[in-house]
Amino acid sequence: MATDINVNQTEENRAERARTGQYYRPHVDILEEGDELVLVADMPGVKSDAIEIDFQDGVLTIEGSVEPRYDDKVNFLLCEYGIGDFYRTFRVSEQIDSNRIHAEYGNGVLTVHLPKVEEAKPRKIMVNAAG
Amino acid sequence: MTLIPWRTKHPDDTPREQQLSPTGGFRSEMDRLFDSFFHDAFNWGDRPWGAVGGWGPPLDVEETDKEVAVRVEIPGMSADDLQLAISGNSLVISGEKKETTEKPKGGYVYQERRYGSFRREVALPSAVDADDVQAEYKDGVLHVRLKKSQEALPKRIPIRAT
Repeated sequence: MATDINVNQTEENRAERARTGQYYRPHVDILEEGDELVLVADMPGVKSDAIEIDFQDGVLTIEGSVEPRYDDKVNFLLCEYGIGDFYRTFRVSEQIDSNRIHAEYGNGVLTVHLPKVEEAKPRKIMVNAAG
Repeated sequence: MTLIPWRTKHPDDTPREQQLSPTGGFRSEMDRLFDSFFHDAFNWGDRPWGAVGGWGPPLDVEETDKEVAVRVEIPGMSADDLQLAISGNSLVISGEKKETTEKPKGGYVYQERRYGSFRREVALPSAVDADDVQAEYKDGVLHVRLKKSQEALPKRIPIRAT
């Protein structure tokens, strides 16, 4: 079966152009857990109330803002990571029940649960004999 | 500088340090070039984390008059799984990042996050007081503050006019 969820590069590039300022793409794991997809994203330095999750037209957006940590005067001896918000979008091909999406955050890791829509039951359509 | 060079968080993105300030970015980029040149030339194959899975979290080291602060971006840990040690003039940060979930029933659709043991060694720019180290782990960032030892603090030497 094809990948149920994938990062749509075009979508991301478009988003990139629409946004101002610096942001970083969080690293994610996506797991298939039977009746739901679970997305786990590394977003270190973000506070739980600074995270926004949006699901619209099959596109999941996760966003987290990071408060600046440094003064300009700091003397860096080594700087391997800096400051910037996290932002990433995903196009989800699976049918997701958007009302039941829930998420938790702890120790710099965001976990988003995306429950699948229950399989549509086969429906018999009665045909009434006319006349 | 003898700090160990490390990759940027996302190799495909613009390195973050270049965005902090134009000069700072250039400086750290030059440092990185020097580091990687000397490290590769003289310590080839001697990467401290190479033996334990080939990865390490990115870190920042900053120096003020009285202290040295190290910040490590290492999300998804518990404080118990992190170890800190001062050995010689180095700070050693090690630990094991465990997988947060059990093996998923349907498998992984995507896996970008890193797991396993890691070890990073940071050469400290001055002597520190090993008994006065503060370490805090919050929102996936480990923040270590080391006070410089008295001997390392700048001393004013009076000059007598004769």
